[in-house]
Amino acid sequence: MPKLIKNGEIIDNAYVWLDSNEQEVVPNGIVSVQKWLAKKDTIGSVAGIWLDAGDGVECLSDINLDQFEVIGINFPAFADGRGFSYARLLKERLNYQGEIRALGNFIPDQLGYLLRVGFNSFQFNEDVDLEKALDLHRPFSVAYQGDVADPRPIFLRR
Amino acid sequence: MYQYDAIDQQLVEERVAQFRDQTRRYLAKELSEEAFLPLRLQNGLYVQRYAPMLRIAIPYGMLSSTQLRKLADISCRYDKSYGHFSTRQNLQLNWPKLEDVPDILAELAEVQMHAVQTSGNCIRNTTTDQYAGVIADEIVDPRPYCELIRQWSTFHPEFAFLPRKFKIAVNATESADRAATQVHDIGLHIKKNGAGEIGFKVIVGGGLGRTPMVGVTICEFIPRQDLLTYLDAILRVYNQTGNRQNKYKARIKILVKALGIDEFRKRVDAEWAHLKGTESTVPMAEFDRLASFFSEPAYETLENNPASLTSKLSNSAGFARWYERNTFAHKKAGYRIVTLTLKKAGQAPGDATADQMQKAADLADKFSFGELRVSHEQNLVLSDVRQDQLAELWDAAKEAGFATPTLGLLTDMICCPGGDFCALANAKSIPIAAQIQDTFNDLDYLYDLGEIDLNISGCMNACGHHHVGNLGILGVDKKGEEFYQVSIGGASGHDASIGKILGPSFAQEEVSGVIQKLMDVYVSNRSEDERFIDTYRRIGITPFKEAAYAKAN
Repeated sequence: MPKLIKNGEIIDNAYVWLDSNEQEVVPNGIVSVQKWLAKKDTIGSVAGIWLDAGDGVECLSDINLDQFEVIGINFPAFADGRGFSYARLLKERLNYQGEIRALGNFIPDQLGYLLRVGFNSFQFNEDVDLEKALDLHRPFSVAYQGDVADPRPIFLRR
Repeated sequence: MYQYDAIDQQLVEERVAQFRDQTRRYLAKELSEEAFLPLRLQNGLYVQRYAPMLRIAIPYGMLSSTQLRKLADISCRYDKSYGHFSTRQNLQLNWPKLEDVPDILAELAEVQMHAVQTSGNCIRNTTTDQYAGVIADEIVDPRPYCELIRQWSTFHPEFAFLPRKFKIAVNATESADRAATQVHDIGLHIKKNGAGEIGFKVIVGGGLGRTPMVGVTICEFIPRQDLLTYLDAILRVYNQTGNRQNKYKARIKILVKALGIDEFRKRVDAEWAHLKGTESTVPMAEFDRLASFFSEPAYETLENNPASLTSKLSNSAGFARWYERNTFAHKKAGYRIVTLTLKKAGQAPGDATADQMQKAADLADKFSFGELRVSHEQNLVLSDVRQDQLAELWDAAKEAGFATPTLGLLTDMICCPGGDFCALANAKSIPIAAQIQDTFNDLDYLYDLGEIDLNISGCMNACGHHHVGNLGILGVDKKGEEFYQVSIGGASGHDASIGKILGPSFAQEEVSGVIQKLMDVYVSNRSEDERFIDTYRRIGITPFKEAAYAKAN
């Protein structure tokens, strides 16, 4: 079974990322938000949904997100930083409590920032040495801004 | 100036360790070229035409003599014993070795300096007026607010991979805008409202590059405690909706233009409604803490215009000229602000040798409480010089090549490194600056012409701010040959405007002749004491165009 990083550990990937809308929906699948929204009355139970860059989170504002174990966010390229805002909005605006998974072409050197905006699992596209990636997990032990772990900026913590 | 505490120091040291590891992995081929690119850019490291270029941040232009000595020392040991001060209050080293950069950063960290976010698609070094804190008509000192923004923007987890670079500049006076705030992604003008509260007028969507634009006002007054949440709201809208397909359409100015300011403002306000009042609201204690770093130095109680100054002014025409051009009124009686110009003929604008950096540091220690500023016009500033010591400083500044008395005049050019160094450039810019310096070497004539901003860029990216020069020169490539397009009528102050292109471009050897023709038109059309830009605005482009392209007969 393929591995991924979740909550700072390397574990088996229990879900299937259905990155094409042609793929058959399976109960442990992560379905695109577009497909899920279009078929939500008939699609049945899935592990979660995933957002592509450009989808935004507004489309989820009326949806009960507690039904999803996982919400994935795809990075079409690692330089495409839209997903950083999406994760933060899922967490802080929509109060989503489940797993937020980075999908696609992000790179291990982004883990520090990804964690701070709310991602807690990382499914790399490329062949990444997960042990080495874990070393890059927390490049900084202090931060100036508030983040999802601690909303207080440095001026409330100095 | 701001002093790091243990937290600030830890952060820069951890950054050095992170970059050391990234460089090691890149050199060991564990990290691809593609993945290393944005990582090194976010640390100011470019790979240029002949060598890497490292851009070191000088946050809002403040530099201690200790820091400047360290920069001089680094330039000697890791580079070719000089550096280039850029328009955005950075210092660029043109010849470091890539594998040495982690060591350079470690040495910078020893003096509370870094290269964090001096490049890349992230929030860049925040800039401000080089006279901040020492001019009389300032609303409040902008530097504590710049430091607040510096900390907010440093390793901001959400905005490290924006559609494009993002530059913020702060101004705090009605009388001038020396930081070109209106051509920044965000320009902040410090204001006081009717109740005496401090806040910011926020201007958004300015910028140069391929599509130059003057910014538009998104909000007349944001109370200072709400500044960070408001900036977060702007950046969040931009991060999600800015163009990511085409890098030439990716700056926030294009988004603001496409949506229109009213729709853009609506979106920012909707986002801000969620953020306003949250933990990022700045408490008064933090403003007080930041302001405490910028308290006044130990000024003496002095009189303006001491006898030693007035007699020197009447006895030495050279000194009087320098005093008039290169010094500026100080808020404290008996003091003066002095610009050490980096525009000596024969030296590229903004360049300083290691020896000059050492000398400038010595002058700062001797005459100005050990502090310096770096200006947008690529000069150094001693902000607190006693008037009765100006004559002595002038002698020392002349000797070090800092006293070319042309501040604000035609030959006080802004100039990018251009094709001599930069891989992006279409043409060289330094030889054009040299040609203009050679042609216009008569001080009386330069004084007669008065204040003219001449800005030179070697390509469309406009690092030399050619669009907002009263005269702008842009290097272009025409079938493999270097040509120069001239524009006229730009301005970067409160009256910011984008210059108009005069017409077809000129060969390199023609440039200063064309500038001469434009000056002739100005001189024969100006009314008494009228500045070049005002004459241009009154008579329009046509007479200039006709003169520049008139056939010799």
